[in-house]
Amino acid sequence: MPVLNHRNQLFAFANAVGLALALASVAGPAEAQTAEDEQQPQTRLSGYMDFHYNKLERADGRLDFHRFVLLVTHEFSPKIRFVGELELEHAFVEGLEEGGELELEQAYVDFLLSRGFNVRAGMLLMPVGILNERHEPPVYYGVERTFVDTVIVPSTWFELGAGIHGEVGHGWRYRLFVASPLNALEFSAAEGIRDGRQRGSETNVGRVALTGRAEYVGIRGLTAGASFWTGKSGFELRPRLDVPVHVIEADARYTRDRLELRAQIAGVTIDDAAALNDAIARTTGIDPNIASGLRGAYGEASYRVIEGQRWGDVGVFARYENYDTQHRMPPGAQPILAFDRDAWVMGATYWPDPDIAVKIDYVIARNQSTVVRAPNGLNVGLGWWF
Amino acid sequence: MSRPYTCTMALAAAAALAAVSLRAQSQAPPPEQTVEVTAERFAFQPSEITVAVGTTLTVVLKSDDTTHGFRIKGEGVNVQIPKRGRGTTTVTFTPARAGKYTFECSRICGAGHGFMRGTIVAVEPSGEAK
Repeated sequence: MPVLNHRNQLFAFANAVGLALALASVAGPAEAQTAEDEQQPQTRLSGYMDFHYNKLERADGRLDFHRFVLLVTHEFSPKIRFVGELELEHAFVEGLEEGGELELEQAYVDFLLSRGFNVRAGMLLMPVGILNERHEPPVYYGVERTFVDTVIVPSTWFELGAGIHGEVGHGWRYRLFVASPLNALEFSAAEGIRDGRQRGSETNVGRVALTGRAEYVGIRGLTAGASFWTGKSGFELRPRLDVPVHVIEADARYTRDRLELRAQIAGVTIDDAAALNDAIARTTGIDPNIASGLRGAYGEASYRVIEGQRWGDVGVFARYENYDTQHRMPPGAQPILAFDRDAWVMGATYWPDPDIAVKIDYVIARNQSTVVRAPNGLNVGLGWWF
Repeated sequence: MSRPYTCTMALAAAAALAAVSLRAQSQAPPPEQTVEVTAERFAFQPSEITVAVGTTLTVVLKSDDTTHGFRIKGEGVNVQIPKRGRGTTTVTFTPARAGKYTFECSRICGAGHGFMRGTIVAVEPSGEAK
């Protein structure tokens, strides 16, 4: 994230919140819309928040207000819309230190031309994986997002771009965007491509990336999709090294009554990772040991054991994840086995209201290292949507 | 009772029955079709509904998560779908002409709200949409 004076960031955030509240107060209650006001411009405020307690083995517990997100939408006309999502992460924004983040996760204008062809431009969510576009706390099990959607698919993944989306019939729909590429200088052995996100801040677009998703929702209860992202990512290296990076992903989600099943598989390939490691080592003085292949997958089953009670619903889940950011190494490099990881995550969610989720889970983490042991962890969280 | 009189009465009764029957046929209610639609972040299922022109379409709407909206653009239909477990909302819509009618979520429901759209395809009884 570019470094700004944290006072300026907080001031900007306060201004944005104030503007959002003012717009919402002008718009009136969201439910008040009628056929008559269909022609009137609409501005609405919504959002989600969650805070967590995380306790790793042999470490003190931590409380964190992880996300405070406000969404503002405005309809210029029935065919032109604005959507904005402003997020404050970890409650506090500071300068150079690792701490909070103020992020503009979405800010785009949608031109709704027809069912099959619509144009979107601005700050976009990359259409990769289950969670990147569908991440409101009450709709996924587990206090934290999946590991695969953190270090393989770098959720929340958003970039400046433009593209098209639509539904082509029989339950098939698509999105296809060009966007700013990843910055390979920030890739790492542990977190893969995650820190390479430019996140819309004076982004380099010397070589734009291309991303897309095809999705099928034609069978009741089933959502299945496949996504890709491809771009050249070495623009900050001198001399410039255009390293092609490719992400490919497939996922499925099936819901029937109280049962929900999810699965996702994702892989990243970094062409010429050996040259990339050399170039980064020359630039920073440290060999980052970046892999030429990363991969991850998870499967999750959940069941609402209590449903329809006046006091709420309860669901339980179990998820297995396997993810390796050192899966395939370039010639001459050795994998760091501590980054070949897997985890069992088991827990429960209590919904006192469908838009409020009280979560608890326990993570049994493992890796392939005989030296560095992955700590297990207990997580408790409260998230809500309005 | 004379035979001609009996025949005349029988014919009159038959004619009256036929008239009532024809009238009943001409006043038959328009055809109806009911479809259950589930809304969840960020899709309607099914997202495509095919109906004949003049058929009264009843859409029973249910949410699998939060509150959604259901608006048929340009047709004056706009309702709220209650949260999961809070019941259903029913709307009726009778397409007067063949064509495609877009419906969409009219209540912001999350990051992918803009993808929640679908189509009602109204076809002539011969099966063609314009």
